[in-house]
Order: sequence, then structure tokens, then C-alpha cells
Amino acid sequence: MTVTVGRFLTPFGIFNERLYPIWVRNLQTDPLILPIGVGPSNASTGAMVRGGFRATSKFDINYAVYFSALSTMTLSNVTPLDSDRFAGVRAGIFIPNERLEMGGSFQHLLQDERSNSFGFHGGWQPPALPIEFRGEYQRSARGSGYWIEPAYRLNQVPFWQYAMRRTQLVARLQQYWVGALPSDVLPSVNTRQFEFGVNYYFRDGFRAVSSYGRQFSAAGNMNVWTVGLTYRFAFPLGHGDEN
Amino acid sequence: MILAGVLCAAGQEQSKLADTRVSSAGTDTASTSTLGPSKAVHEGTYSRYEGEKRYRANCGRCHMAPHKFPPRMMATIVRHMRVRATLTDEDMRYVLRYMTE
Repeated sequence: MTVTVGRFLTPFGIFNERLYPIWVRNLQTDPLILPIGVGPSNASTGAMVRGGFRATSKFDINYAVYFSALSTMTLSNVTPLDSDRFAGVRAGIFIPNERLEMGGSFQHLLQDERSNSFGFHGGWQPPALPIEFRGEYQRSARGSGYWIEPAYRLNQVPFWQYAMRRTQLVARLQQYWVGALPSDVLPSVNTRQFEFGVNYYFRDGFRAVSSYGRQFSAAGNMNVWTVGLTYRFAFPLGHGDEN
Repeated sequence: MILAGVLCAAGQEQSKLADTRVSSAGTDTASTSTLGPSKAVHEGTYSRYEGEKRYRANCGRCHMAPHKFPPRMMATIVRHMRVRATLTDEDMRYVLRYMTE
């Protein structure tokens, strides 16, 4: 069990806390529903208790319980420190042999309209195949939606193996529905979006990423595309002394 | 059928690779002296197998294996990741041993 006091990433769903770093995420764009439940700066100011334990020989249980206080402090647009006042919990089970994970999140806003938000998340990596599926569904008074993201690593393609085993194909399908209350950070109209991406791993922390997608909404359809390089800095660790 | 055959063959190759990595792992001299050679080797092999399995199951859910760091640094990293990924204590110990060998 770990007790955290201070600033921490809001553990609502899995994307904000686990998949947000650009060197981890498969597609560089944020899911449309990401702002649901995470607060104005994706972080909380308060306290959190979290942990994981082996429930049986078949599966693990993980949990996070947290409280965030209202903070309006903002140093700059680059490093906002504001947060909402809310309390929430996330719990999940993980089946290691199947590499299957699922869980749910619940949060109660303790300010403004004092509404509830909840969500479900899941991930599966079939042990026999280099493929993974991730997805989330979230619902709040300000909007709801889901995203599903399969990713396939071409390890098993029998030709051009040097290049293929470094190549990953990704897709994400997502849909968003406007809620009863307005929101500054969520889309203002119902939106659907599909993206397809190709990533190439030069080595474990360095890769080229690209994606193309199309967004459909009443506000107008548009293309969404990204091209880039991602690198995981290990500073200040560096490679260090191997002894 | 062809695709299934390719996947099956690749799966076997991965298993061979895992077996090779497990069987080629060195012996733990400290354990050898107290447990006897065969038992120590068996326990070391089991530990490495479990470490790799748990690494793939837990850490591999989000990212690929990082390059190796010295044990002291790796201990810090794994402790941090235990909190972030809500690993169990047992998983953390196996993963740490696997990542520092």
C-alpha cells in the first residue's frame, strides 16, 4: 500500500495515469473523453491511497482511493496547478496468465453541480500473439464516450523480419456524446473519430510515430494526423555505471 | 491455415528463445553454497522464468523493456513503477531480480 500526499495524476480510468506519456501511448492524440474525471490539469491536489495484491493464484486486485481539494493556483499556462474538489476510487483486477485487465472508476464532484462520474477500462494482450487491445468507457454529466484501441506488432510476419518486428500498426475508434452540462475542455457536439497509425521502433525508447484519422461531427469534419519522433529520456539516470 | 502456421511457428520460436534465456542464465553463487548446486540452479532458473513472465505480464502491458540500469538505479525505478502500475510486492521482487541479472 502506498500513501501519497500532494500532487498526483488523477487515477480515473487508465489513460491519464498509465498511458499518457508520449513514449508509452500508441497514438499521439488524446482520447476525446480524456478530460472526464481527471480535473482541469489532469492532476489532483490532496491525498491518495493505492496498492495491489494477489487475491488468488489466478488474479491480482489493484485499487486507488483519493481525495482532491480545490486549487485555483496556476503558475502559467504551461504548468497549471489547479484542481477540482472531488473524491474517487478506482479498482481493477488483473489476470496475469491471460494478460487481461479490467476495472472501473467512480468519482463524486464536491463542488458546483456535485455530480458523479464513472468509467470502465480494459486491456488484453493475448499471450500467443503480439497484439493488444485497450479501451475505456466514461460517463459524466458533462459528456460520455468510449475509445477502443487495438495495436499489432508485426513480429510474426515472415518477410523483412528486421523491419517488421520493429513495426507496429495501431487503430483507435472513439465516440463522444455531449452531456447535459457544458464543458470547456470536452467537444461541444457529438463526435466520432477514427485513427490509424504506424509506429517504428528504432530501439526501446526511440521510435517514429505517424497516424492519420478523420473526425466526424456536426461542427464540421476534419482530418487528424500526426508525424513525429518519441524518445524516452532517462535523465538524470543515464546509462550509469554497470557495476 | 497458412497464417495460423506462421503464428504457431513464431510462437514456438519465442518459446525456444525463452527456454534458451532461462537455461543459459548463470548460477547464483551465494545460493549455490547453501542450497546445493542442483537445487540452487533450479531455484535460480525458476526465479528468472517467473521474473520474465511477470515482467511481460505487468510491465509489458504499457511499454517495452528499457535498457539495463545498475541494480541500485533499477531498484529505484522498479519501486516507482510498482506504485504507478500497482504491482504486487511479489511481482515487484521477481521483476527487480529479473531486471538486475
